[in-house]
Amino acid sequence: MSQTINMRQMEQKLQRADRKQSRLYLFCNFMALMIISAYSALMLSPTVQKVFPEGGDSAKQMYMIFVMTLVGCVVFTIYALGLFFRHKSGQLGVLMALGASRKRLAPGLYREVLLLSGVSAIAGTAAGFPFVWVIWHAFRLLLVDSSDMVLTFDFRCLFISLLFLLLVVGFAGLTAWRYLKKTNIMEVIREEHINEPVKELGRWCGPVGFLVLLAGAVLGYGAPWACHAWFYMFPPAWVGVFYAPVFVGLYMIMLHTVVHGWKSHRRNPYKNIISRSMMKFQGKQTVNNLLVVTLLIAGGCFAVFYLPTNGISAVLRYASLPYDYFYKYQADQDVPDRTEIEALGREYGLSLKDWNECDYVTVGMGGMTEIYEEDGLRYHIEYVPMLQEAMVLSEDAYRMITGQEVDVKPGTYRCVNDQEGTSPYVNNSAKEITNMTTRKVLATEFAGYLHYDHFAEEIPCCVLDNADYDLISEGLTDDWRGRFAAFNADGKDSYPFAVAFYHLFISSFDQSCERVSFYDRVQKIRENEEGLEYWGDTDEMTKISYELSDSFTFRTYWVYMPSFRILNQNDYLRNMAVMFMMFLFIFIVCMITALVVCHTRCQSIALNNRYIFDDLKKLGASPAFLDKEVRSQCTNVFKMPTFVGTAAMFLLYAMILYANDGRMLKTEWAAMGLCLCIIAMIIAVIYTVYRSTVKVIKEQLKI
Amino acid sequence: MLYVKELFKSYEVGKNEYEVLKGIDFHVAQGEFVAVMGPSGSGKTTLLNCISCYIPFDKGNIRLGGMELAGMDEEELARVRNTKIGFVFQDFMLLDGLTIRENILVPRIVQGEVPKEAEKLADQLAAMFGIGHILNKYPAEISGGEKQRAAVARSLINNPLIILADEPTGNLDSKSSRAVIETFINAKQKMNATIFMVTHDSFAASFCDRVILLKDGTIYRQLEKWEDRGVFQDQLLDAIKQMSE
Repeated sequence: MSQTINMRQMEQKLQRADRKQSRLYLFCNFMALMIISAYSALMLSPTVQKVFPEGGDSAKQMYMIFVMTLVGCVVFTIYALGLFFRHKSGQLGVLMALGASRKRLAPGLYREVLLLSGVSAIAGTAAGFPFVWVIWHAFRLLLVDSSDMVLTFDFRCLFISLLFLLLVVGFAGLTAWRYLKKTNIMEVIREEHINEPVKELGRWCGPVGFLVLLAGAVLGYGAPWACHAWFYMFPPAWVGVFYAPVFVGLYMIMLHTVVHGWKSHRRNPYKNIISRSMMKFQGKQTVNNLLVVTLLIAGGCFAVFYLPTNGISAVLRYASLPYDYFYKYQADQDVPDRTEIEALGREYGLSLKDWNECDYVTVGMGGMTEIYEEDGLRYHIEYVPMLQEAMVLSEDAYRMITGQEVDVKPGTYRCVNDQEGTSPYVNNSAKEITNMTTRKVLATEFAGYLHYDHFAEEIPCCVLDNADYDLISEGLTDDWRGRFAAFNADGKDSYPFAVAFYHLFISSFDQSCERVSFYDRVQKIRENEEGLEYWGDTDEMTKISYELSDSFTFRTYWVYMPSFRILNQNDYLRNMAVMFMMFLFIFIVCMITALVVCHTRCQSIALNNRYIFDDLKKLGASPAFLDKEVRSQCTNVFKMPTFVGTAAMFLLYAMILYANDGRMLKTEWAAMGLCLCIIAMIIAVIYTVYRSTVKVIKEQLKI
Repeated sequence: MLYVKELFKSYEVGKNEYEVLKGIDFHVAQGEFVAVMGPSGSGKTTLLNCISCYIPFDKGNIRLGGMELAGMDEEELARVRNTKIGFVFQDFMLLDGLTIRENILVPRIVQGEVPKEAEKLADQLAAMFGIGHILNKYPAEISGGEKQRAAVARSLINNPLIILADEPTGNLDSKSSRAVIETFINAKQKMNATIFMVTHDSFAASFCDRVILLKDGTIYRQLEKWEDRGVFQDQLLDAIKQMSE
């Protein structure tokens, strides 16, 4: 005779019997917390933070995808909790029906739920760090390594994981409380068997969903532009709500997928009727899951498309630069001269040719600019004398370096843009330029653009008539004067020479030049004279150091950063390593989460409807028919989110590239082509997981 | 024993309200075996769920063993369900992770302590219902009829005032149905149990002392068994036929 058990032991026995459900819940929670913890750990790590410019587009992109992943994980954990309680409710209901009061059931239920959610959440949070560490070091080992890539954590990131952990545990407790509060015991008992069909809309909802999605993308992207163009306002954070139709559209598309499917069933209305009905009757959960998976795939694409769109334009740009070596320096710096450089070249078996040098001066240039109103949000456009630094060349100097014939009329200036005319750093509104030593002012006006990539830098570059140039440069001290130099390698270029020259070049500069390209000396003088503190002198300004001359920050922002083609080409991936690897990591995280959700969803639909497959077998359904139904159901879960997620992001990227300057450049077409290749790879991975999911389900259903 | 007076219950489905019980009145005496029959949607299961306090009712009175169920708080209702009512579900509702003995003892386990007498009673009930040999097995290892007999034993473990059974033979073959009905008759004869059973099965109902016919939420007719079971079943079938016309 066996020993009779008490309440606690009974609960433990029942929990052991439910371990399959518990394992699924543990797994889902663990995955969600691990992903959030890993993402936030990397996102907030000093390694990433020092590379991603604050407020920059890349940083915004990183935070945006994080929010999408966070939403995905929240929905995922709520779904897992719902599944757990749907199963648990049958047991709870029976105990309630047999007279167990809520007070009696509460301790055991809370203990179980809080233990499962707490342990899985803590384990997931802790696992996030080794997870990110392993992936990051795999990147360093297999893809790219640099001094920037040394991974350090800022453990304040745990605050995000902790909030998510509290949300998971709190929501689990709240759900348990909600079940205990139910007065209709039959409802609790039958909960597991209750279907959740979604409210059906007509067959129009899918196509309309695509239109709403498109409208949301255009509205969301256009809203900040409208703020500037129509309201002279910096777009506040809330303009993000204009993206809301994207989510409505996505919901409608997924609803259509679940309720109607995308194939016409007119010819054969019974085709795939089983799989369609299975999805439909767990419609709410299925639509939510498909929505989350779509967001995650879209987020993953948004991240991974960053690599080709940035990479290819840089690679093509480096290849098309006119000179192998092009650099500038302040006149008071003791930079190696031609003889020294040629001697260095000989050390590396390299001879140099096409040597060209010219002087330039840095002046104060007036221009139209945005002036904040008192509310800090709106602005008006106003002309400001001595607005910014500008580099000025004479006609002769420009002709010598570029070989371009140029004629600038006295009293005018021409602004140098890049070959494609897309540089944002041009000033076409100046009415005067100022000698910053003598404060002599020369009236001028814009007379059109010239195009030369080497001069299209962060500091605007202008060309003056020779006489005007002599006039404005008269009396300038050496700290406002500079020199451009350029040469080519005669024959095959040498990377070791480029490295040696780069370090020799840097070592010749003194502390006065240890500043970033957006530290504007003219703006500083103007603001100081107005009694204001220049923001560049505060802690907000990015700091660089000659000591870290190979770091991303230094190579990206140093004001005298030279352009050595072979160095840039070879070191591009290394310079951009942190940024690229961060986006690659985000892509991996989003894809893993999406695939886990798809796999779990397919399994739960199939297993919850196991009895349908058993009945179909009894009714004589062939294995081929059952196989087709399983495939059809899995196809719906995998296919539509993949199609919508990848296509939407591809179109959004194309729209962004087009909207930048109202045209698609060669490099942008090439980038979009590469994005298509990436989409093909994503589809291949998803297809592999789909096949394995079908295999697992067929094994479980014994088909 | 059980008095039901002017019982009303309605359900809301979307914006529509459906009145399922429209003022039901009846009583069940101590030791009586009563069945409720009626077509689908007549309110049989709703009536049973109201009596067992599984769902709240809108209006009316239910008195069980002198206790008024309306107005009781959740704690008191749980005590009533545990000690005064035994419930038998159509789909058994045994807990998969527990053995048959443990399942029978669940109503005692939730009270907090399982005295030796309860264990003894569980064994006696199992023996009485012919399931003594499967006490250490799990629900997945036994037949539907055995599961339902285990569920009847579970409903009797606390010596309740009444056993409420919701289509207890609904999921069983005729042999198992017969065995389950015999467990009820055994319980009535040997333990003076009061049984209130909802059923579609006129054969099962013909073993009862009285049958209440429900139609559209009201009592259509009550039939008492005065004669032989077979004759009573014929009377039941006639009454059901009339009710359907």
